[in-house]
Amino acid sequence: MTENGTGTTPEEQVRALYEQSEVETARAMEELVGKASFGSLMAAGAENVAAMVRIGSDVADLVLRNLRLAGRADITRLARQLNRTEDKLERILQEVEALRDELRRAEASAAAETER
Amino acid sequence: MNVLERVSRAPVNALELANILLTTSDASTGPSAREVIWTHRKVTLYRYRSSRRSYPVPLLLVFALINRPDIFDLRPGGSFVEFLLEEGFDVFLVDWGYPDEEDADTGLDDYVCDELPWAIRETLRASGADELTLVGWCIGATLCAMYCGLQDRAASTVRNLALLTMPIDGRGSTYARWVGDPAFDSDRVAAEWRVLPGPVVDFANKLLKPVTNFWTTYRRLGEQVVEGTARRELYQPMAKWVADNPNFPGRAWAQWIQLMYRDGSLASGLYTLRGARVDLRRIDQNLLVITASADHIAPRAGTLPILELVSSEDVTHFDRPGGHIGLIAGSAAKRQIWPDIASWLAERSGA
Repeated sequence: MTENGTGTTPEEQVRALYEQSEVETARAMEELVGKASFGSLMAAGAENVAAMVRIGSDVADLVLRNLRLAGRADITRLARQLNRTEDKLERILQEVEALRDELRRAEASAAAETER
Repeated sequence: MNVLERVSRAPVNALELANILLTTSDASTGPSAREVIWTHRKVTLYRYRSSRRSYPVPLLLVFALINRPDIFDLRPGGSFVEFLLEEGFDVFLVDWGYPDEEDADTGLDDYVCDELPWAIRETLRASGADELTLVGWCIGATLCAMYCGLQDRAASTVRNLALLTMPIDGRGSTYARWVGDPAFDSDRVAAEWRVLPGPVVDFANKLLKPVTNFWTTYRRLGEQVVEGTARRELYQPMAKWVADNPNFPGRAWAQWIQLMYRDGSLASGLYTLRGARVDLRRIDQNLLVITASADHIAPRAGTLPILELVSSEDVTHFDRPGGHIGLIAGSAAKRQIWPDIASWLAERSGA
């Protein structure tokens, strides 16, 4: 490739021009998404999508239930019960560990007193 | 390379680019050996044992709810965990897991009042230490700060608190313009969606810088392939991590929106969890705050109020060039910020 008067090849000039336009586009897009109106659009879109997901999910569950199959809602209900059971077990475990630590400390101090 | 050569290499380059993109999910992450110490629901506490442990005070790493904590241990030679182990720290990491619909009712209070204190308790039990260092990043840092601002017992168990790119008041951010308007019914969205799907959270994060995230990243990768400088061992683990987004439990998400983008109640000391006020003035631990100058996820202005609020006597603030994740996990982090973090920790982790 031949160099022009500026010391850069035409290819480099095109590339620089492209990169500059990309930077400008990026800046413009960031400004756009930062606007309150874009935020309102996003919020409304999120609400609509959430509602549609919920409706779709409910319909799918209804179909499965009528086929006498466990649907997502049934599995979620079961998993929540398991969560509650696990919570209780965790708290019991912590109590047991605390009591064991207390017992160990009491035994250690009793042993120290006996030695005296 | 002339035009003819370029054209003839185009199919090879296209194949290589496609191969890098298509095999990204197969990239291996998490090079450091670890063991499971404790689990509860989806939460897992891991321990990374150092073969040259020099400090009695263990570190507990806490990451955000919207990405995986694998970023702490991304790839060989680029792992913060690996670096800390080499420096002689005993490292624990709490992994929030992949919440699903059954976890929809998990709120910030569950993370701050149950899961985090329990993980701290298990860390202390496993390490045999009386105190630890909490290292929180992003939302994980906010959870750590809330814990220290809430719990009286934090004063006796948390010696050092390191907060990396932490949001405490996001009202000036782009997120606030998206979800901060009270007309947006976040509670209803949370109830309908139950959990905010990870890909939706990822899409929203990427939309903050749409051209950069949806185009420039891939264009640059393509150029590197053409030039023969593409390094898939660097690109793939990070791309895999970026695309691996757990769901955000609906209740926690709605609380986060209210707290961070509407009330600003954490900074103003009015936020309460289970009836107890979260008062950041209670934070009296040795405190390290790290902010990134080009952080668009948790802008620096939303972090700096912490410096005025806490009652710690030992406060250090590193403000460095970089982005929200790149500052701590970028290819330059190992040279530019990890040694500073390690030396801050080392000075405060002795017997």
